[in-house]
Amino acid sequence: MSLPILLAVFAIPSISIPLVYLAGKKSPKAAAFFVALIALVNIALVMSTIPAILSNGSYAESYTWIPTILNTEFTLYLDGISASIALISLVLMFVASIFSINYMEGKKNLASYYALLCMLSVGLVGVFLTSNLILFYFCWELMLVPAYFIVGEWGYRNAYKSAFKLFIFTHAGAVFVLLGIGAIYYLTGYTDMFQAQTALMTAAPDIIKWVLIALTAGFAVKMAVFPVHMWLPDAHSEAPAPMSALLSGVIISAGAYAILRLSFGIVFPAVGIAFGTDFLHSLAIVGIITAFFGSLLSLVATDIKRVIAYSSIAHMGYIMFGLSLFPVALATGNSVLLASASAIAIVGTVLHIITHAASKGLFFLTAGGVMHQTEQRDIRKMGGLAGKMPFSAVSGTIAALSISGAPPFACFISEFLIFVGAFQIMQVDTFYIIPTALMLIATVFSLAYSLRFISKVFLGASKDEPGAEEAHKTLAEHIKAEAHKIVDVPSYMKASLAILVVLVVLIGIYPAFFMNLIQTVQFGVPVG
Amino acid sequence: MIEEFSAWLVWVIPLLSSLFVPLIGKYNEKIRNYFVVAVAALTAGLALSLVPAVWSGNGEALTTNPISWIPGITGISAGVYIDPLSVLFTCLIGFFALVIAVYSIGYMKGEEGLSRYYYLILLFIGSMIGLVLADNMLQMFIFWEMVGLCSYALISFWYKKPESIHAGVKVFIMTRIGDIALLAAIGLLFLMFNTLSFRGIIAGIQAGGFNMDYMVAVAFLVLGGAIAKSAQLPLFTWLYSAMEAPTSVSALLHAATMVKAGVYLLARFILIISVAPAIITALMPYWFPVVTWIGVLTALVGASLALTTTDIKGVLAYSTVSQIGFMMSALGAAATTGGLIGEGWFASLYHMVSHAFFEGLGFLLAGGIIHAIGTRDMRLMGGLRKLMPTTFILMGIMIITTSGLPPFAAFFSKGLIITSVTGIETLAGLAQVIILYGTAALTFAYCVRMFSLAFMAPKTEHIEKQHVHEAPKVMLIPAAILAGLCIVWGLAEPLVASFMHIELAEGLVGAFLNIETPIFLLLLVPTGLIAYYTYYKGFKGVRNVAGTKNPLSTMLNHAFFFDDLYGTVTKGLTRFSEGLTRVENVLFARYPDAAGTSISEAAEPGKATTLKRGPSDSFRNYVAAAVVGFILIIVLIIITSGV
Repeated sequence: MSLPILLAVFAIPSISIPLVYLAGKKSPKAAAFFVALIALVNIALVMSTIPAILSNGSYAESYTWIPTILNTEFTLYLDGISASIALISLVLMFVASIFSINYMEGKKNLASYYALLCMLSVGLVGVFLTSNLILFYFCWELMLVPAYFIVGEWGYRNAYKSAFKLFIFTHAGAVFVLLGIGAIYYLTGYTDMFQAQTALMTAAPDIIKWVLIALTAGFAVKMAVFPVHMWLPDAHSEAPAPMSALLSGVIISAGAYAILRLSFGIVFPAVGIAFGTDFLHSLAIVGIITAFFGSLLSLVATDIKRVIAYSSIAHMGYIMFGLSLFPVALATGNSVLLASASAIAIVGTVLHIITHAASKGLFFLTAGGVMHQTEQRDIRKMGGLAGKMPFSAVSGTIAALSISGAPPFACFISEFLIFVGAFQIMQVDTFYIIPTALMLIATVFSLAYSLRFISKVFLGASKDEPGAEEAHKTLAEHIKAEAHKIVDVPSYMKASLAILVVLVVLIGIYPAFFMNLIQTVQFGVPVG
Repeated sequence: MIEEFSAWLVWVIPLLSSLFVPLIGKYNEKIRNYFVVAVAALTAGLALSLVPAVWSGNGEALTTNPISWIPGITGISAGVYIDPLSVLFTCLIGFFALVIAVYSIGYMKGEEGLSRYYYLILLFIGSMIGLVLADNMLQMFIFWEMVGLCSYALISFWYKKPESIHAGVKVFIMTRIGDIALLAAIGLLFLMFNTLSFRGIIAGIQAGGFNMDYMVAVAFLVLGGAIAKSAQLPLFTWLYSAMEAPTSVSALLHAATMVKAGVYLLARFILIISVAPAIITALMPYWFPVVTWIGVLTALVGASLALTTTDIKGVLAYSTVSQIGFMMSALGAAATTGGLIGEGWFASLYHMVSHAFFEGLGFLLAGGIIHAIGTRDMRLMGGLRKLMPTTFILMGIMIITTSGLPPFAAFFSKGLIITSVTGIETLAGLAQVIILYGTAALTFAYCVRMFSLAFMAPKTEHIEKQHVHEAPKVMLIPAAILAGLCIVWGLAEPLVASFMHIELAEGLVGAFLNIETPIFLLLLVPTGLIAYYTYYKGFKGVRNVAGTKNPLSTMLNHAFFFDDLYGTVTKGLTRFSEGLTRVENVLFARYPDAAGTSISEAAEPGKATTLKRGPSDSFRNYVAAAVVGFILIIVLIIITSGV
């Protein structure tokens, strides 16, 4: 038995929740640093398992838990995919808490805010950290509670309404997830993912197809793909910026991770190749519709955060499309090492979860900074901010360009891998020719909305949009009245933006760290 | 190997140095400018240092050792590819970098945001050289996109001007359309050869490991990428919009280097596929003629538009479009002349360099004129012959070269292009040659028009009101160097051919003795006379070219309605998206998007107004929406998978 590293990743934030609250009562700043410190410690802990993951493919710890009821021990498990996503989640958590110092300044009940943030980090990391289905579901729901309260209590406009939408939708999705997990337990008698998967391979009843559908549909709500996206634009645009960054950056991507881990990891190898292929095709269609839908709506949105929220929907479309390129060979029970050429798309998809998290976090935080400094959220009333907020202009531009898939920024390399993988699969499955072509076209739209964002917010406003003239007048008045007031974001915000800028550029130029991790993973039937 | 070392440094140094520009700029602007000039000079020197090894080689790429970059599945390494083609481009870019760095000191003097300008210039230089020296498709594609990014940022340099922003966005999006074609080509290549490195692809082709249908698809997709990047039909309109950039940027990006990336791509692609005669044979009936036709038609369209535009930079932009059309047509003729890499391939690249010299010269001089009189509108110019005598002489050299009159550079390079297209011995080939001759005549006409409007016409009121001065030395000397190169570059033809390891059928003298030359010259005389009499004797006529209401001038005024078409598509998409947004908002009881509320109005939660409808009211709606959404997803899955 080695050191309880992963248990510590759970325990440290859990134990700290009341401490953070107490610290927050004294000084919100201290609480923010507390949360950031916890994230840092957790980053260090997860990093310490990486050598083991690189050499053995995984890192696991087992503990006994509720032994009498479910006669099983629960396993904390990290492999290349979950470790890399957990790392980026923790980085975002760190950045979000630092950002909150300036952003939330002067708001009420900050002690509760930071305590909830700390609680969120337990659930958020826990989802990626376990191979036990019950613990997974527990963490899955644990993410939702703090998210609901943070959006509702510290959000904008009809915040509780948006939070309520978030809660109802994701919870409805979770019901399906629970059904799926229950079915897996019922069919196999195991709560451990790998044991369940082995058991399913030996005896898979026909109903397993429905389990796959229920699980995937449930997770799809979290991803907010079309047509279950309705909650996202409200929740993400009304949440406070640090929470938007976490929601759009990692929480919705947790849905994609869960599809990969549960739907594909456990159930998919049992469904057979014919159904498996069709199932993947339907995911590809959902992905395409989502990508176009999100991009088009983002192209005309006038609310600064809604532009970004719709872009998140579009990117979930990319990720869904990437997931649909999952090696269908698995459905015959063959195992597939992600490092093989047939799985390039999945490596790209996982990498895209990471790059999108960093870029979208940066995007939302920059937008939050702009809102904080200008007290505006209508992009028609902005413009020319590059002169007044050069730092935010640089970080916003980098975020927007990365989101649009322009090299050398992070999202390019992952999108590139998804496309290369898509071409690989075309060779064996001609269905993918049209979807891939459409997804390529969708990148033009993502460039369009990204550039529109940059032009409208940071550069001088253009006048070719309906209603812009009026907004222009308001802008002139606004600038006259506020010109002396608008300054660049304060230092803690700058620091957190800078971290993400460095990350986005670094991953874009040299993605080897994450790629090495991701490529250690093997999906399919464990041999022996 | 020392060459490999310099081939790395030549693009890494500008990229890294670019990061220091804002830092140095904070302390001392002068030092910053000299720093940029020094880096550009170093880049040019390093580029030149690559020449001897390549010249003494056998025309193939030097052996190099790529380093691991993206590990595992794709196994992509980063490396440099040193062969005559890449070194020719590297030297051109390095040289132009130096010219523009010096020129910018004068031209951009007193502008705001110069640290950003110089940062982007160095970033561009590094990326552009990285593009041509990359040894694999991914590295090339990344730099391909990065030069587009620099182009966007530099076009929008005056970020407060709505026109600049609009132009920047237009340019970036139009070129992205070509980029996705290129990306698809890269995907197909990886599919066939399981590698992205040029050497690996060449080895794969030699081993016969390709699928001919895919290869044809790749060829057309690569052509699509080149069309968008090099402003060819039907995606040529962005180059005119790009003229919103500072003139120094137009000279560097939109005349000399970036816009040639498409030519580089096609030249590289032809070089790669030339190792398999079977591919060339398969591409002969469709692909090569399409390339030539696109080039020929673009040359004609560009020249006709250059004839009517009133913007002096517009003339140069359309002239660039037209000249790149010439290069494209020669590339299309590269494989027709019997040999695989024939004269067409060389002619295209040779003309690429001479075009960089004369069009770059044109832009530098135009920059001086714009600097002096504060407008780009040629209708407001006139009488500059006396006011700017040096510019006048240099511009004379420029128009002689552009028109392809002997004995300056373009006479040889354009002549070589026409010779190689003549080699296409089909009826279509004949038509193409005739169009090219016509275009050459048009070229002469628009050159004379620009020249006479700016320099020979009587002074306009606009000019009278201003104190017009000759451009400063720091701007004239770079121009003079380019003018000198315009004169001598033509005579360097045998040297360049030997550097590129190409055997030419005829020497320098042969170019004069060709049957084309007299026809060519004969064509110039009537055009020149017509141009002279319409434009010089009756300057009102020239203003009326754009003003008359006949169908032809309407077409030309609207640049053959390409932009109107794109505008309609964009508008339609926007309408559609707005409709979708409205549907969404109504369906899901969303507040109208933003609706002009500011944060302060609605930041405080818990106010009576914000919770008019309690959670329980909306509960049913949301559950209903969630259920409907689920059912839709499940129905979709069932329909497609037939459970």
